[in-house]
Amino acid sequence: MADQKTVHFIIERQDTPDSKPYTEEFLVPYRPALNVVAALMEIQKKPVTKDGKKTTPVVWECNCLEKVCGACMMVINGKARQACATLVDQISQPIRLAPARTFPVIRDLQIDRSVMFESLKRIQGWVEVDGSWEVNTAPIQDPNVAATAYEISHCMTCGCCLEACPNVGPQSDFIGPAPTVQSYLFNLNPLGKFDKEKRLNALMEKGGITSCGNSQNCVEVCPKDIKLTTYLAQLNRDVNKQALKNIFNK
Amino acid sequence: MFNVTFYIRRLHSICGIVPMGLFLLEHILTNAEAIGGPAAFNEAIGRIALIPHDIMLVIEIFGLAIPFLFHMLYGLYITLQAKNNPAQYGYVRNWQFALQRWTAIFLFVFLIIHVVDLRIFTKGGGTPISYELLDQMFNNAGWFIFYLVGMIAAIFHFCNGVTTLCMTWGIAKGPRIQTFISRVMMLVCLLLSLVTIAFMISYKMH
Repeated sequence: MADQKTVHFIIERQDTPDSKPYTEEFLVPYRPALNVVAALMEIQKKPVTKDGKKTTPVVWECNCLEKVCGACMMVINGKARQACATLVDQISQPIRLAPARTFPVIRDLQIDRSVMFESLKRIQGWVEVDGSWEVNTAPIQDPNVAATAYEISHCMTCGCCLEACPNVGPQSDFIGPAPTVQSYLFNLNPLGKFDKEKRLNALMEKGGITSCGNSQNCVEVCPKDIKLTTYLAQLNRDVNKQALKNIFNK
Repeated sequence: MFNVTFYIRRLHSICGIVPMGLFLLEHILTNAEAIGGPAAFNEAIGRIALIPHDIMLVIEIFGLAIPFLFHMLYGLYITLQAKNNPAQYGYVRNWQFALQRWTAIFLFVFLIIHVVDLRIFTKGGGTPISYELLDQMFNNAGWFIFYLVGMIAAIFHFCNGVTTLCMTWGIAKGPRIQTFISRVMMLVCLLLSLVTIAFMISYKMH
């Protein structure tokens, strides 16, 4: 067992939301198809650093373990991604883990992503449902539009796009790509489109779509491959039209 | 609902093309006359001087100074909203994003020095701008490099600005057309930079 293959982790830790970050290194026994969450579970089982010092288990969040819930988003080797879907074999070592500091850090790799929920409330990220229908009486939807809506509905508010976006962070009030593009999803909905004007006006406010600086990092890092920049451009068209309506229709 | 932020942002975007982009192109064309030597350059300046002083002053204040100051000051505010991260996310567009902001900060300083020196103190003080005057200034290697870098920064900022304007206004929606426009504008950037390098070096040749 002495020469068992190990995986080297360098983890940026932080004990409380306000305390100073520090790093600790760990060696995790290697096994085929090991992913970052599974490695963190190993550290949890045996919280001993590389130098043999006993420490507290590293705190992180995870839930579904299949890239659907978005909870385990963290910065892995400098880039925001899902820890559960990051295979150790596919990235270079030592593996550096850090919390996504665009969001407030709670402890170690655990972050508070509730700002995205607040943003979704701001853009009215829901449909005012007034009942359900039998199949034959439901509002008709263009299947092409439905396909686009399905793609955008994959968004799991993991926050990768906000972490990678240079215009999101404590220095700016930009709500970020994910909540912005969600407004397009609800604008496409056969019932949701009745509130399109409200959503577009919300996007025209401070911190809305005008804060986008076109770095296009969002579309590069999105784990669900949502064509964020395409929908941002579409929303730019939509807010321009809305602006003309605001000027000339009232 | 007035959405002040929206209108200011869009105005900032338009200002970058009209008048600023057009003025940059005019500047390059006029200055490129220097390739033809002192006589050609002084003649080009003479043509601009045909515009009556009172009309020129109105154009300079309302068509140039005010839009430039608005774009520069609001642009500085936008620049401060970004934490540039191309080292972490080294995609082409992200580098262009960072360069747009780095050139912005340089140009803020460059334009103030350039306008205060040549327009306000030199021309405003009664000394007409001429080939000989610029030639003398460019004899100093520091000024020469400062102006060359300033011009190329402005050209990049303008060309990349056209690319992002097409995104911001929803003109280019998909990745194919966005990449196409970006490449065309980087080609324009290269060509304008070569013209600039040519007329700057021509001062050393004549």
